[in-house]
Amino acid sequence: MQQEASVRNSAAGGATAQFRQGSAIRQLWETNLEVFQRDKMALFGLFVFAIFAIVAIFAPLIAPNDPLTPLKNNDGDWIKDALPYWLAEPGEDEAEGYSNTFLLGTTNIGRDIYSQLIHGSRSALLVGFSAAAAVAVIGTVVGLLAGYYGGWVDAILMRAADVAFGVPFIPFIIVISAFMDPSIWNVVVAMAVLLWRDTGRVIRSQVLVIKEQAFVSAARVSGASDLRIIFVYIAPSILPLSFLYGSFAIAWAILTEASVSFLGFSDPETISWGFMLQDAFNSLALSREAFYWIVPPGLCIMLTVMAGFFIGRGYEEVLFPRLRRM
Amino acid sequence: MTILSIRDLKVEYATQDGAVEAVDGVSLDVAEGQHLGLIGESGCGKTTLLKAIVQVLPRNGRVTGGKIMFKGMDLMQLPAAEMRQLRWREIATIPQASMDSLNPVQRVGGQLIKLLRVRGGYDKRAARRRAVDLFDMVGLDTERLMHYPHEFSGGMKQRAVIAMALALEPSLLIADEPVTALDVIVQHQILEVLRELEQELNLTVMLITHDISVVAQVCDSVAVMYAGRIVEQAAAEPFFASPAHPYSLGLQQAFPNLARPRDVLVSIEGYPPDLREPPAGCRFAERCPFVQEACKEHDPRLEIVGDNRLAACLRSNEMDALRARAEDPTLWQHVEVAQLVGQPRPDFTDDGRGEPTARPSDVSHLAMAGQSPADPHKSETTPADGVDAPPLLEMRDVSKRFKIGGGLAGLLRGDKEQTVYAVNNISFTLRRGESLGLAGESGCGKSTTGKLLVKLLDASDGEITFAGADLSSVDDKDLLAFRSRVQLMFQNPFEALNPRFTLYRSLTEPLIIHGWKDENERTRRVVETLDRVNLRPAEVFLDKYPHQLSGGQLQRVVLARALVLHPDFLVADEPVSMLDVSVRAGILNTTRRLARELGLATVYISHDLSLLQYTCDRIAIMYLGEIVEIGPSNEVINNPQHPYTQALIAAVPVPDPTVENPPLRIREGVPRPTEQFIGCPFAQRCPEVMEACLSVRPPVIADERAHQAQCHLYGEHRDSPKLERDAAAPR
Repeated sequence: MQQEASVRNSAAGGATAQFRQGSAIRQLWETNLEVFQRDKMALFGLFVFAIFAIVAIFAPLIAPNDPLTPLKNNDGDWIKDALPYWLAEPGEDEAEGYSNTFLLGTTNIGRDIYSQLIHGSRSALLVGFSAAAAVAVIGTVVGLLAGYYGGWVDAILMRAADVAFGVPFIPFIIVISAFMDPSIWNVVVAMAVLLWRDTGRVIRSQVLVIKEQAFVSAARVSGASDLRIIFVYIAPSILPLSFLYGSFAIAWAILTEASVSFLGFSDPETISWGFMLQDAFNSLALSREAFYWIVPPGLCIMLTVMAGFFIGRGYEEVLFPRLRRM
Repeated sequence: MTILSIRDLKVEYATQDGAVEAVDGVSLDVAEGQHLGLIGESGCGKTTLLKAIVQVLPRNGRVTGGKIMFKGMDLMQLPAAEMRQLRWREIATIPQASMDSLNPVQRVGGQLIKLLRVRGGYDKRAARRRAVDLFDMVGLDTERLMHYPHEFSGGMKQRAVIAMALALEPSLLIADEPVTALDVIVQHQILEVLRELEQELNLTVMLITHDISVVAQVCDSVAVMYAGRIVEQAAAEPFFASPAHPYSLGLQQAFPNLARPRDVLVSIEGYPPDLREPPAGCRFAERCPFVQEACKEHDPRLEIVGDNRLAACLRSNEMDALRARAEDPTLWQHVEVAQLVGQPRPDFTDDGRGEPTARPSDVSHLAMAGQSPADPHKSETTPADGVDAPPLLEMRDVSKRFKIGGGLAGLLRGDKEQTVYAVNNISFTLRRGESLGLAGESGCGKSTTGKLLVKLLDASDGEITFAGADLSSVDDKDLLAFRSRVQLMFQNPFEALNPRFTLYRSLTEPLIIHGWKDENERTRRVVETLDRVNLRPAEVFLDKYPHQLSGGQLQRVVLARALVLHPDFLVADEPVSMLDVSVRAGILNTTRRLARELGLATVYISHDLSLLQYTCDRIAIMYLGEIVEIGPSNEVINNPQHPYTQALIAAVPVPDPTVENPPLRIREGVPRPTEQFIGCPFAQRCPEVMEACLSVRPPVIADERAHQAQCHLYGEHRDSPKLERDAAAPR
């Protein structure tokens, strides 16, 4: 009788043991899936990111011209301020000695705006994702440590967060840019140094809640080490929050990069949408009503920022279902 | 005269998985001056019924049929504006967890006065006078009228809520669980207030509760609800003397009674039916021990079965015979109970050498030298300790202090650091297979003691030895070994399991931590343990997540996790307080049985003395971090020595309407343990307080059965002059 039972038990154990592995990762995946299934706007955001990502990866293939080299006509002069071909007077280009194939015209020093726009997606996504990753990772680790250990660890980390809250953001980037060579990485560094504060705070508060729950005490009574409790018990529960703050950080980073570039603190050798706006602004494109120069980068910034916020909103709905009723 | 008459009421909730008939054809009459108790387990539709009466159903709920007549008005047909006039002025409610319904940013009296002026039409001065009267009526100090809710204790808030409910002199008061989650002494006093007001104001009351002893104390009639229906309705005395429905019989068997302890409590096996697809026959059929084929096909109606009694059971004509059979606990719970019945309790109080087991004033001798109990079943299953074997666990003069308001933030804010004396100089020993109960009001330090025992906290002072090793000086390796031998069972089963883990994962974690490498071996142990705690077939549960289980099942999983490593010692912190009465006994019986099988020493922490009497060999009563009395369970309950123990026992409501609880002689409210006492910690509240109590530490007095109390009444200062209570504790 007893033998029978144990045979049955071990058979059942063998069969069910395999897919039970890694259930925490599977659950996280399910949460992510739920976000995009439930919220069509989040799905739209993801779609936008996907398109920009493809464009960024294949930028050299998609862009017809080099974004930095001025284009020249048959006489070797720069093709300055060419209108998009669909706006230009027919025959004008041949008179000037070039063939107008420019979707969005050229800049005041003869660069192809359309190619710049394509290449701009590279720096936008690079800044966006690396800054978001830095913010999410640093914030999550700080939040976990401060929340779990409490005491002096908490005091030091949270006072550091207070300091980070007190530093004005854009001026801080300008100062960093002054000390370092101009580069889009300045924005990433500045965000990593300052913007973990929000993520860290929120995750800390969540950890404080979870660590008081009985299942964490149960793990400790069973002999689980601190690291095991942090990473096996607590971290999976707060990772969706990290994703939430990460997706907001993407939008912030792209916006910030644009602002900093517009203020003229970016690397002139790297094309970004903000840089394009600044270029357009400096060459008085506004007064010439060159909307084809200003609107496309602006639209791209808006789209990526919106995409980031849509995804963040989707996470919020899953994480805080009560918001849904409002 | 009938003031509330409900006819065939049906309430439906729309859910994602279809409509749930939460109340299904309830008919009920409440006469003027009647005090009706509505009892039943959670999810049976009690609160829904209340919400339907005052028409505050949540958005997804709606009344789909029936009538609610109040004083000749059909409440369903009443325009919303008139209904609003009716609420509070005619039908007042005390909602669940009503202590939190006071507005925290307004003074309590201010809220009362505002209510009187806006709804009652009082002018400013009259409203104030009335508020003072109301405070007086519910026994609140009228000087507290202008205090904020946070300055009130839980009991005071509950009194204030009662005052507010009665402010407009309603004809009907509906109270939903008015004393749940209150300490036993506060509970006693609130019930007393309710009882007095019932008499004084000739109130009509509908009291909703899961606790049949509360009903016995304040109600004159009872209605039992099960799965959306009323299954029995009767006057209180005949109901408690001879229930007329199998479910009521089960409830009564499940309820511990301090005055008449049962050998074995039962739980009603199984769970209420899914109300999305209610069964065709009797709804209780699945859990009923008297079920017949006919019960599964015919839905019994609520019928008159005797003088002024109604019951819905096909076999009500043979109820007398069934009642006699119901006395046999094995009827309800076959395996478990059969193992517990007829086993005398092991005796841990006699050391067999005829010596006094503890000397007066010697705290460290709270328990006696090891001795294997005389019970043959016991010694078979327990790893036998030699006569002089050391105890498994020993606490000697253990204290725990917490510092609050310190830290960097506190330093910068200039907060004064305060010390909380959570546990003070407690000592006891525990042997293999023995069970000890820790009881006391909230804040008495019993949970902290539990955490010290499993080393979730470290003692500030004193020594805890487990199996001969001092816990304060174990290294990491020994700590891991200790962790495999000592486990904790939690109060709230809904929080005790990681919601992201399957049950298999939760149960296998301890094994992984303790180095069980072979997955198949782990699985076998997990399955075996689930089987042990009666979760069968175990395989079904492996891949479930906690939210897919009921509270009772979850608590069994929590127990399984505690036992999966085969520990020697288990601390159960309020193991059943969150569970329905009908499943409580089941958990306790399983724990008791396994403790015997595995030779487990157990510490139960609970505020419920009747529960501890049922499960424990010995009971320790704690007050402000000290053990004021400890001894064999029956001794402590039947022959309490310390005035605090006496008060606690007197406060436990008796599930028998013919027995009225004696009036309490102590006030509610445990003081904050932020100071150390020179004398007796209980002196402030003690009805027997003497001069010596304020200045001299009371001695520990023990009798020959190792029953000890720490009180001056029995020591050399017994003739010290008595004090008036107010001299000792000025308000």
